[in-house]
Amino acid sequence: MSTVIERIRKALHIPQGGLSEDTRANVVFAKGAGWAAPAGDVPAGDLPGLIAQIRTEAGHLNLQVHECASAEQCGAELAALAEGRRPEWGTARQVMCWSDPVIQGLGLEARLAGTDISVRTVPERERFDETERAEFRRQVVDSYMGVTTADLLVADTATLLLLGGRGRGRSVSLVPSIHVAVVPVGRIVRTFRDALRRLDARGLGLPSNMTFITGPSKTADIEATLVHGAHGPREMHLFLLP
Amino acid sequence: MNSPEDYRSSAGKAAADTRLHSALAKMRDKVGRNALNLYTQVDAQADPRLKAKDVRRKVVNNLDVVLTSLAAKITGRGGHVHFAPTDLDAVEYCLGVARRHGVRRVVKGKSMLSEEIGLNAAFEAAGIETVETDLGEYIVQLKGETPSHIIAPAIHYSREQVGELFAEKLGEPYTSDPPTLTAMARKALREKMLTAEMGVSGGNTACAETGHVTIVSNEGNIRMSSTMPRVHVVLLGIEKVAATLEDHDVLLRMLTRAAAGQKISTYVSYVGGPRLEDEPDGPEEFHLVLVDNGRTRILGDPDFREVLHCIRCGCCLNVCPVYLKIGGHSYGTPYCGPIGAVFTPLTRGVNECHHLCQGETLCGACKQVCPVDNDLPRMLSLLRAKLADGDPRWNVRPQSRGTKAAFAAWAWIMSRRPALDLLLRLGRAVQRLLPKPSGWIRRLPGPLSGWTRGRDFPPLAKESFTERWARTRGRKA
Ligand code: SF4
Repeated sequence: MSTVIERIRKALHIPQGGLSEDTRANVVFAKGAGWAAPAGDVPAGDLPGLIAQIRTEAGHLNLQVHECASAEQCGAELAALAEGRRPEWGTARQVMCWSDPVIQGLGLEARLAGTDISVRTVPERERFDETERAEFRRQVVDSYMGVTTADLLVADTATLLLLGGRGRGRSVSLVPSIHVAVVPVGRIVRTFRDALRRLDARGLGLPSNMTFITGPSKTADIEATLVHGAHGPREMHLFLLP
Repeated sequence: MNSPEDYRSSAGKAAADTRLHSALAKMRDKVGRNALNLYTQVDAQADPRLKAKDVRRKVVNNLDVVLTSLAAKITGRGGHVHFAPTDLDAVEYCLGVARRHGVRRVVKGKSMLSEEIGLNAAFEAAGIETVETDLGEYIVQLKGETPSHIIAPAIHYSREQVGELFAEKLGEPYTSDPPTLTAMARKALREKMLTAEMGVSGGNTACAETGHVTIVSNEGNIRMSSTMPRVHVVLLGIEKVAATLEDHDVLLRMLTRAAAGQKISTYVSYVGGPRLEDEPDGPEEFHLVLVDNGRTRILGDPDFREVLHCIRCGCCLNVCPVYLKIGGHSYGTPYCGPIGAVFTPLTRGVNECHHLCQGETLCGACKQVCPVDNDLPRMLSLLRAKLADGDPRWNVRPQSRGTKAAFAAWAWIMSRRPALDLLLRLGRAVQRLLPKPSGWIRRLPGPLSGWTRGRDFPPLAKESFTERWARTRGRKA
């Protein structure tokens, strides 16, 4: 046992009062009443209200929301967005996408085929060697737009939850100047608390890395004045799919 | 650390600095005054501060169990966990990691703990370039200073000063426009963040049951520092953990409101280990350094254990009448304001830091806004009592002997009517000799003169209430 843990136990006078470690663990890790995850998705009837709430929150955050009637419409709007933007760093235009059926369904590559914009997808492999990682890194750094989906979307704050894992680069939502998230509305939950409950319900099989993202990067470090685009993406779009 | 004399002289200077006061007033108005309203969003019925306090108390009282679980989960994912008993040990460990990887450049996300252990100086001494990436910290570092606020490190600079600094250090054309200045820093720091071999960040809390460190930021610099470099090291005080995801619900929502008046920060990252085999990016190595550095000693004293509930939101600074006048630098330590006035003496010596706990006013504003309802005024009073009486458990020498004697004499006199009457008669005789241009005494003599340096003093009445009662026998009633 480390010295620090020993010191802690001494400071807390443990063992004390006959409470075993297991008992204390049970107390400290106990779940509150009503914490268990909500049974299913939010009822379809509630969606319009929640989407309206996302729009309101997004307005404060400088997050642009596009509600699409179909994947077809979404693909077209996203392609138009890519064409309308210039890169912040360098001159070449490249879009990096998560490898995910939701994004594949947009047919971006075909839509942007005739343009100077190249579309790439995060490679899916068992393992990545040094060269492959360096290559991926270079490609993300050279991308002006990163396209991801989100595992959950919290209506209360317009917050995306991105779990890490296969086919999902962590840097895709971070390094490119523009972050686009394409999210089916079925993934909407009401509150941060509900999102945590869903995570808990996965039985703690949580990835090594996950991130809640609420709007584009910002800072208020100079005279408490709000500025968007500190180190992360300076522009952010949310495409909602049926 | 500032000596009591430094404290007095820098506080004196800052107290006359109106520009500083208006800068700090922005934090007060934006965050401090608003905090209580924002907490009601978390829970309108019951006071969510008490719920947050319960969560913190539960964890701190079972810290061994919680930390053991956290460490096991992180090692299980291939991360490294190191328990550092002292600041030196923590610094040594970080240097060791850097050496093993031949690191030449480190990018840092905001971490007050790294200031506490003096990490930057150690890296620089070892020839490792150390770059702060939080915009406020970056400004402060370019200037060769230290942060003056836990949350807003560069709050004491005007936009013009930042413009001049960037013009000088980054060779950019002068501007005082915050968006343009931010873009300049974005460009300069992106280069650093993409080329550093190691990232060091603090953590806001952790989740023991899932095995993650939780880091909030608005800028994205911490995500950069924890994603792009080959090695990521997190420095975390041993007390800054939570047990469950459920705990995070109340803690994080209180933290972002108290710290920045936000419902949630832009980024809330859960970092639980290195990149897994099938992930294309993320750090190759992940280290969590859990730092004691005096915290277990506080844990052992039930009178002060509460201070370990602190979630370092900085909200108590924004309402503290002392901090708002003297600014963070006067304290001369990484943790300033009311929380620093309690935490610093306990970790660096009560006698050595007596000026910190004696400098606060005990007005109680800090307790009111604290998201975990920390009773800082109670602990400040206790520290002062220790300074008067001494306490071998904390190695405190009785030091305020003069004050103690004066109060003992006062108590003696006040409980004896004839003695008080004698003193009053003496006082009336003396005050006749003192100048009273406006009817009030301008200057008190001898050791009492300090009181009248900044204000006049009302003279004693010609007759005390008791004397008048005796004379009139309450005739009017
Ligand atoms: S004492 Fe309370 S208000 Fe002050 S920094 Fe700690 S948690 Fe925040």
